[in-house]
Amino acid sequence: MSKFEAGMEAMVDMYIYETTTLLEQLDQILMKTESASSFGEEDINEIFRIMHTIKGSSAMMGLENMSTLAHAIEDMFFIIREEKPVITNTRDLYELVFNASDLLKAEIELLQEDSYSPTDFSGAKQKIFDFVDVLKGKAPAGNAAQGTAQAPAATAAASQSAEPAEQKNSDFTAVRVFFEDDCKMENLRALLIINKIREDCEKLEYEPADIETNPESAKKIIENGFVIRFKPIGPVENITREIEEALNVKSYEFISTPAKEEKAPVQPAAAQPVQQQASQSVPEKKAEAPQQKEEGASVEQINNLLAQSKSGGTKQSLISVNLNKLDQLLDMVGEIVITEAMVTANPDLKGLQLDNFQKAARQLRKLTDELQDIVMSIRMVPLSGAFNKMTRIVRDMKIKLNKDVDLVFEGEETEVDKSVIDNLNDPLMHMVRNAMDHGIEDTAEERIAKGKPAKGTITLSAYNASGEVIIVVSDDGKGIDPAKVLAKAKKNGLLTKPEKDYTEKEIFNLIMLPGFSTNEVVTEYSGRGVGMDVVRKNIEKIGGSVSVDSKFGQGTNFIIKIPLSLAIVDGMEVTVGKSIFTIPINSIKESFKLKPKQLIKDTSGKEMIMIRGECYPLIRLYEIYGLEPSYTDLFSGIIILVEAEGKSACLFADELIGEQQVVVKPFSPLLNNFKVKQNGMAGCTILGDGSITIILDVNNIISNF
Amino acid sequence: MTDTELYTETSNDFMSTGGKVLLFDIEDNVYGVEIQYITEIIGIQPITIVPKVPDYIKGVINLRGKVIPVMSVRKRFGKEEIPYDERTCIIVIEYDNIAVGLIVDKVNEVLEVDPEQISATPDYKSVNSNRYISAIIETQTGIKLLLNCQKIVAE
Repeated sequence: MSKFEAGMEAMVDMYIYETTTLLEQLDQILMKTESASSFGEEDINEIFRIMHTIKGSSAMMGLENMSTLAHAIEDMFFIIREEKPVITNTRDLYELVFNASDLLKAEIELLQEDSYSPTDFSGAKQKIFDFVDVLKGKAPAGNAAQGTAQAPAATAAASQSAEPAEQKNSDFTAVRVFFEDDCKMENLRALLIINKIREDCEKLEYEPADIETNPESAKKIIENGFVIRFKPIGPVENITREIEEALNVKSYEFISTPAKEEKAPVQPAAAQPVQQQASQSVPEKKAEAPQQKEEGASVEQINNLLAQSKSGGTKQSLISVNLNKLDQLLDMVGEIVITEAMVTANPDLKGLQLDNFQKAARQLRKLTDELQDIVMSIRMVPLSGAFNKMTRIVRDMKIKLNKDVDLVFEGEETEVDKSVIDNLNDPLMHMVRNAMDHGIEDTAEERIAKGKPAKGTITLSAYNASGEVIIVVSDDGKGIDPAKVLAKAKKNGLLTKPEKDYTEKEIFNLIMLPGFSTNEVVTEYSGRGVGMDVVRKNIEKIGGSVSVDSKFGQGTNFIIKIPLSLAIVDGMEVTVGKSIFTIPINSIKESFKLKPKQLIKDTSGKEMIMIRGECYPLIRLYEIYGLEPSYTDLFSGIIILVEAEGKSACLFADELIGEQQVVVKPFSPLLNNFKVKQNGMAGCTILGDGSITIILDVNNIISNF
Repeated sequence: MTDTELYTETSNDFMSTGGKVLLFDIEDNVYGVEIQYITEIIGIQPITIVPKVPDYIKGVINLRGKVIPVMSVRKRFGKEEIPYDERTCIIVIEYDNIAVGLIVDKVNEVLEVDPEQISATPDYKSVNSNRYISAIIETQTGIKLLLNCQKIVAE
């Protein structure tokens, strides 16, 4: 890992996280403003600040290419902000910024690989520069492009020595800053200082003035030092402290202080009062200390920048935590829950009268429950983040495919476990792309002819239902033609039974088989025939399921069901012979002993159970799983009425053992190869005594047996 | 740390560099597993049956809080199972972060294998177990078959 300077490696994670967040913010702003087709001042400032932060932190990481690209955009928005030119070709502007944002994102991805080498962004930069030229050409005050703040400084820079300028600015304090030898990119470091102290200064000039734009200025800084002239709002000490604490500052000296008595030009150095000489040597010593704390200071700096960019100056109350730590915490809490059960339900305690112990145990139980809830809630993230990413995709495709589409969100505040979200991005993206590409009609005329509004709609909705989160990606486009799907599946040899035996639902679900794609033409976005297959795999990986529902001519719904949390469920343990199974409590409606009059057999001898006028199919667990039960007589065992997704059935088991909260452990991938999930097993869990039980997936049992 | 690095190196090409191999018996055959894949060797444990999986998957065991599947190597290679006794062992191997326990009759010894002792498997498609053998090791005491951990875990 020699891609970063020593001491920076520790910050790579932080940098990547921060920059990604910022770029997402940028996309959001762009998307918002583009659809509203107006740039508010606030938005421009925000973009400016984002780019500024990326520039700064990239420079600190030594990623010059990213830093300069961000810089180019920053400059562009600087001009837009300061001169408010009339932008006629807004679309080009958006294209430029989106493009740059994509480049930066891609670079961040690359950065995470071991063999990273910086990408050359000069092409993109040139485009931005060209655009800036256009902007300037149209702006009346074109030659003041560098902005008002820098203009006076530029004139000051014109004269080799700084002193003459002070004639006019006698109430300025001037400081010359020297950076550590070989700290590299002195100009950017100087810029960081300027940014830090800007708020505290009424007036601020510096030399060289072109540090932001001209990398050559670094050399000048090395030779002559970096001269800052400022008129502070508060005490001068505030500013000097900032300078002292800044990164890589070797030393600094006062050139002049506010001339109190006369306006006469101050002679350089020689005219300095003795006091200044003293203060000059003291800070020099002080400046050495921060040097050693360099690493800590720079983390702080990133944090500062982050805080600034996030909340516009207010203190942020969020911290970012490594997910691994959170996982460890969750595992730990899981173990505590199990251990708690091991202690309180310890067989050694059986038959003992332990009032105080019971009281303490109850208290412990309450606390562990709360602890668990909190840990679970930490990991819950709203879906809005994942949804928002789709806005960008829809926007890009709208332009490329020339289709007019609205993207609508519903219930994006629904929360799911972080691990679920991470696995949801790709499937969502695929589905939205599919909807855009295949779903929505090619032309508005086509839509109008069908009596639909000219503008298509893609809806992403999410809601909670019985311990699961359901996400629906729907479009009001062409819908799926079952005949076409069937023909295609036949052509690709995907059919496993006679054509006429397929129900419509089964036909739609053929789409998700590997090697299926209805689009004959491979487009940039979809049609490689891997899409839906990957979607299904990704969703199944997180214990969810996907199904398709479509009305030909009216639209298509992709329905994703994912478990709310992968970690802890309330379960009821039942025995079947020697095996113990856990049934999630939220899918149990009731359990009872069967009465003879409740049992019905249909003509084919299939058993059904009548409960309060409703008839439910009976599934004998030992039968479907090929186990040796204690009872085969329905009246000796126990019947459990379960429900999932509106379907109900009765399960027959030997007996109920009890209720317990269990930590779900997913099956090994080895077992997943054997379709354990489809066979109604959701995972396993370890009980207090160390034995393993299998958690049943009621939905799959009802559907598949 | 250096040990792991060393192991990863050998794993890249066991055929050319050789390495340490744990030997175990199944019927009359001696099989070997590259030691780098082995997490631990434990005695036979209570196994929780997982329904609806191939018969060579005996179920899952609780290995200090981790649930791992165990398979009978005998069944895997199409041989009759024998009752477990005090010599029956579970060799826990891990490949590509997937752990699996192999139930074997008994474990033998650890053998240092030189590259010249190793030869590739003949391409007999008809031999059932051949797919799970990655190499043949010839020693003075006889032929040893090296298990292909990747195939065992993945299929």
